[in-house]
Amino acid sequence: MKPDDLDRVLLRETEIVPSSGFARSVMAAVRREAAAPPPIPFPWKRALPGLTAFAVAIVLAFRETAPSASSLAQSHWADGVLRMVGEVQATGAGWALLAMLMTGAGLKLTWELKRRW
Amino acid sequence: MDAREDPDDVDRVLAGDISAFERIVHRWQGPLINLAYRFCRDRSRAEDMAQEAFLRVYRGLKNWRRDAAFSSWMFAVAMNTYRTELKRMPERLLPFENFEVLDAVIAESPAPNDGDRDRAVRRAVSALPEKYKEALVLFYFHEMDVTAAAKSLGLPEGTVKARLSRGRKILREKLPRFLGELRLEEAQ
Repeated sequence: MKPDDLDRVLLRETEIVPSSGFARSVMAAVRREAAAPPPIPFPWKRALPGLTAFAVAIVLAFRETAPSASSLAQSHWADGVLRMVGEVQATGAGWALLAMLMTGAGLKLTWELKRRW
Repeated sequence: MDAREDPDDVDRVLAGDISAFERIVHRWQGPLINLAYRFCRDRSRAEDMAQEAFLRVYRGLKNWRRDAAFSSWMFAVAMNTYRTELKRMPERLLPFENFEVLDAVIAESPAPNDGDRDRAVRRAVSALPEKYKEALVLFYFHEMDVTAAAKSLGLPEGTVKARLSRGRKILREKLPRFLGELRLEEAQ
């Protein structure tokens, strides 16, 4: 790239001199940062059994409901439910619902853990 | 003080001597503030942005892999900080379409002074799409060093060259009379 007119204009920049207190202000912020206690790490060790149990419960719930859905299909009520489930699956809302449930459970768990510690 | 002292100062800071960071701040405050200023065109805001960049540099010191110069890593951290900051509160810009008017006014002026020209070109650069603006600002900030600009942007050199070329093309299209006149004057 050869230097040309545009280069000359863009290279001619005003130099800003830092204000006298700038370094002091940065160092004050750095010292505050250094003095602050480190963030509390998430207690994975304590939360792990609960999270595992939750995941297992979800998997078991899915396995339980899948075969029973076919037997329920006999009744009108079950037909309606199945149709609704089908629609929910078609629109992808099921995943959104599951994600919301899991987020809610996660928040509840975090809140409980925070309250205890 | 020179940049060769950076690794030693970083080691001292990581060992717990915070005062060593002050030497880093003194060494790099000018470049970091000036880089911020080229994006926001406001002295006070440039200092705020540079302060935030220094804080992020301090927090991330242990992430500096010594295969690259400390300054390259620091400019990349600063660029990320500035990008976030400018997204949060964008610079007030002249609508891009208005540059046609600006170009005509300056070109028709009997004796436009250098200040007007420089301001017009910088305003045009500020109004460029983000990726071209960043490439141009970093390229001229590093005194036309594509490698340094690419490192600061965390992009391959080829990508930066392509963005520079496209950015300059847009500028010439937006300010045809102004840049044409400049070329003529310089030829005389």
